[in-house]
Amino acid sequence: MLLDPGMNLTLRPMKYPDFYEQYRAAIKNTWTVEEVDLASDLADLAKFTPQEQHLIHRLVAFFATGDTIVANNLVLNLYQHVNSPEGRLYLSRQLFEEAVHVQFYLTLLDTYLPDPDERAKAFAAVDNIPSIKRKADFCFKWIDSVFEMRELSGAEDRRAFLLNLICFAACIEGLFFYGAFAYVYWLRSRGLLDGLATGTNWVFRDESCHMNFAFSVVDVVRAEGPELFDDQMRDQVTAMMDEAVECELQFAQDLIGEGMPGMTVNDMQSYLQYVADQRLERLGMPKKFGSENPFPFMALQDVQELTNFFERRPTAYQTAVEGTVDLDEEF
Amino acid sequence: MTGLASTTSAATTTAPAQRGDPSGGEVAASIAEKIRVHAAGLGDVDAERVIAQVQGGIWPGATVGDLRERAIEITAASVASEPTYSKLAARLLSEHIAEETAAEGVASFTDAIGACRDNGLLSDELVAFVEAHGPELDAVIDSAADDRFEYFGLRTVYGRYLLRHPEHRTVLERPQHFMLRVACGLSQSVAEAAELYRLLSQLAYLPSSPTLFNSGTRRPQLSSCFLLDSPKDELDSIYERYSQVARLSKYAGGIGIAWSRVRSRGSLIRGTNGHSNGIVPWLRTLDSSVAAVNQGGRRKGAACVYLATWHADIEEFLELRDNTGSEDRRTHNLNLANWVPDEFMRRVEADADWSLFDPKEVPELVDLWGERFDTAYRRAEAAGKARKTIPARELYGRMMRTLAQTGNGWMTFSDTANRVSNQTADPQNVIHLSNLCTEILEVTSDAETAVCNLGSVNLAEHCTGEGFDFARLEDTVRTAVKFLDRTIDLGFYPTAEAEKANRKWRPIGLGCMGLADVFFKLGLAFDSAEALELSTKIAEHIAVTAYETSAWLAEELGAHPNFNQTRAAEGVLHLDHYRNARITLPERWEAVRGRIGETGLRNSLMVAVAPTATIASIAGCAECIEPVVSNVFKRETLSGEFLQVNRHLIGELKERGLWNETLRQAIVVAEGSIEGIEAIPEDIRLRYRTAWELPQRALIDLAAARTPFIDQAQSLNLFQASPTIGKLSAMYRYAWKQGLKTTYYLRSRPATRINQTTVGAPQPVATATDEEACSLENPESCEACQ
Repeated sequence: MLLDPGMNLTLRPMKYPDFYEQYRAAIKNTWTVEEVDLASDLADLAKFTPQEQHLIHRLVAFFATGDTIVANNLVLNLYQHVNSPEGRLYLSRQLFEEAVHVQFYLTLLDTYLPDPDERAKAFAAVDNIPSIKRKADFCFKWIDSVFEMRELSGAEDRRAFLLNLICFAACIEGLFFYGAFAYVYWLRSRGLLDGLATGTNWVFRDESCHMNFAFSVVDVVRAEGPELFDDQMRDQVTAMMDEAVECELQFAQDLIGEGMPGMTVNDMQSYLQYVADQRLERLGMPKKFGSENPFPFMALQDVQELTNFFERRPTAYQTAVEGTVDLDEEF
Repeated sequence: MTGLASTTSAATTTAPAQRGDPSGGEVAASIAEKIRVHAAGLGDVDAERVIAQVQGGIWPGATVGDLRERAIEITAASVASEPTYSKLAARLLSEHIAEETAAEGVASFTDAIGACRDNGLLSDELVAFVEAHGPELDAVIDSAADDRFEYFGLRTVYGRYLLRHPEHRTVLERPQHFMLRVACGLSQSVAEAAELYRLLSQLAYLPSSPTLFNSGTRRPQLSSCFLLDSPKDELDSIYERYSQVARLSKYAGGIGIAWSRVRSRGSLIRGTNGHSNGIVPWLRTLDSSVAAVNQGGRRKGAACVYLATWHADIEEFLELRDNTGSEDRRTHNLNLANWVPDEFMRRVEADADWSLFDPKEVPELVDLWGERFDTAYRRAEAAGKARKTIPARELYGRMMRTLAQTGNGWMTFSDTANRVSNQTADPQNVIHLSNLCTEILEVTSDAETAVCNLGSVNLAEHCTGEGFDFARLEDTVRTAVKFLDRTIDLGFYPTAEAEKANRKWRPIGLGCMGLADVFFKLGLAFDSAEALELSTKIAEHIAVTAYETSAWLAEELGAHPNFNQTRAAEGVLHLDHYRNARITLPERWEAVRGRIGETGLRNSLMVAVAPTATIASIAGCAECIEPVVSNVFKRETLSGEFLQVNRHLIGELKERGLWNETLRQAIVVAEGSIEGIEAIPEDIRLRYRTAWELPQRALIDLAAARTPFIDQAQSLNLFQASPTIGKLSAMYRYAWKQGLKTTYYLRSRPATRINQTTVGAPQPVATATDEEACSLENPESCEACQ
């Protein structure tokens, strides 16, 4: 079983080929920070109102540490307990992607905040800025909940592990990041910070895959031990989701204040609840909030992009290609 | 949750208009009124829903203008459920533009010209023309014409094309003023201006973006494309080319530039007794130079480098856009194209070897094509001059890999291009490359930079449900050719090399857009025999009318100066190279051939099918000759992201009473594909297959059948959702065999994607232990055989 303690090394026969397929798909979407052009963002930043400046500085400060926290949990908690070599292949790949994200946000910070003191402050945000500290504390609480476990020996340990996994998939990658992406796409919808949006497209794509992988691990664990996901667990997940929405909402209040054109705390609340409902549904639980998505610019992220190459770099190409020359192949 | 609710309502109680209380503020009432007025006559639009959503998101200090912007955003995002919302959004935007110009004192066309003149934006000639004919021109404006725009089209015009106040950045002209200004910039009389304006305001024909940007302005750079010959194999020539590229790029031209004359890596440099680092470092400099010139903020500079397949640096060239490897051997801004001789393709077919040369050792190869190239190439091989010899298929495989990984490394065929061109009758005149979008094929040399002025007919506008209106198409073509020819004389040329070439050859490139819309309107599947027949017939009508018009212009104004160096002067027209051309108008071709024999042609080349990305957006039609990539997709541009939806499809589904929210979600979840949606009848699914689902053979066949009537080339994208080297190698070989001169991007799809946020969440998927078919990949979990 997937959570049995140990270091399984057997790739053939492969027990969880779906994990391996997810690993291969991820490889095909390699991108590098150097491909993102942040130059035009500086001109936009120079025109920002103080309110917008505040928002972007807070957002960048969150990004500065968010992916590092995820990477830490991956190494410290997930990798040792997901006892499947193909699953660990995926996690290794995910770790690389988190590193690229960290590098992207570091580059972003260096570009956006020319003053070294400002940069240092951004990285210290987890300690100094209450709205970010609250989110970080939420993450640390769940990291700590399984950190001491060397192996998952009984049902209780496995439940703790599941909660940690669900927290990172549904609440951190699936809600905190989705909240942060919404600000980026909102700015983008006003023609601002194109560079940030380009990088975010790629980060968003990666994070979507991480979340999907985590949920597929949850699916397997549940299928292998249906008794784990009991009513108490459901209550815990709901409570955790509530707390995550609350954390993200107090962050929104810090960022948006009384509201800006097309971005109000009310709308953000509906959006977060809407996203939270989707996560609950993915876990086979009923919707809790019943909110609608209020952001038209997020609906745009659901459909195929068609980029005029005069305008922006198309982001759709794959990087690994297979096969050899064969002039008679069907096409 | 209650705790949250209280904190958020605390945050909004200071707002003048409170959430959930539509009458709570004047602004709320005022925006509601506007939305209701504009929604009048738009049957399927739910104005009250929009009003509720706008009022739900009011923030402190929001003005009516702010809320209108929000209403526009909300309606624009609703087009996927009901395409008519696009019209509502366009009307709201049109009102916004009218208010913005009114604030600058602009109401009429002459007001707009006055305001632009006062801000130093217009040429003296245009200002004088308008001053002389003010009232007549004001009367030409069709004030209802804005209602023809879909939202995305109007947004594009507003965001990028309308002239703006140099400091306030507010627009100084309305969309119809802009179109008449463009027409006046190319006209000598009010009647002429009215003739062109009518086509523009009907969205029946649009000149290319540089003409739309610059007509009538102080720097009327009207040309789309520039093709520069390779720099000579010397330092000064290379730096001179950078300078030309920068000047051409500044005024919104796309650049094609060859690099085949420059020596390859390891070649001896006599002056210093050192060895060359090859072409990559030079292209890095070109890359930076192109990125630095941003075309006045309107769009980013763009260039494509062409390299002959025999150049010894070809392998490094193919890696220039990889996102791995050393950054000092990468160019992320340049597009790349292969200039492929037939001999290479023949050796690929025969699975033979291919030799790579340093141009310094065989300088003659660059200026040869056809049999003379083949002979010289084999002679160089026999003389042992090759720097390297590799299996042709190995290199071909690498080319395919580059296409799959980057979409770049376009395959363009040098011998085909030269063999059928009207400009290459004299062996001194050689085509060395195509342009940034692979639809232009013109001769170049060190002293001559080829230029092309482009325009495209909106075929959708010439088609009703009853059929295609060929008579109207011909009227449009006549006007279009006349004005494209005019741009050659009126244009401002950023370099002397460009002006010299353009005045001698006078090439123009008339193309089309909206072909897919025509097929949808007439109920034809893209890969049907009827579609091929119609598409070819349209191409023939465009070509014959263009030739007739150019012959007439030659009778009036004289043939172009280099006419005697063309094949037409020898009595050979482009279509004569194609024995299997589907000619339906033989008498007209013979008649025009006779006239050309008498007085020549005004233009050496006339037809080119450009990609039309931006102007198709303005016209609200499908791009050039392309199938649609999805029935619901977003466009990302410099001015933001926009949702687009196939309104023909939704129209048909509504007619059959099938359109509802469930179906809409199903289409979005399937990423705009309807192939697998059982609720939709078979015949509709067949006709609305996307570019990813159509057989690519059909795209190539349509292009090949059209080729006899395209004397330049066509920007033909090919599509493979999951490309493999095998599929691509067969596909591009077929394209070459079918006689295509060029191909454009290989479009493919990402291997992973963003999770959809706004359609229903997926349910937990069945996992391995739930249900698992017997699989060799997974024998352990399969219980069926145990």
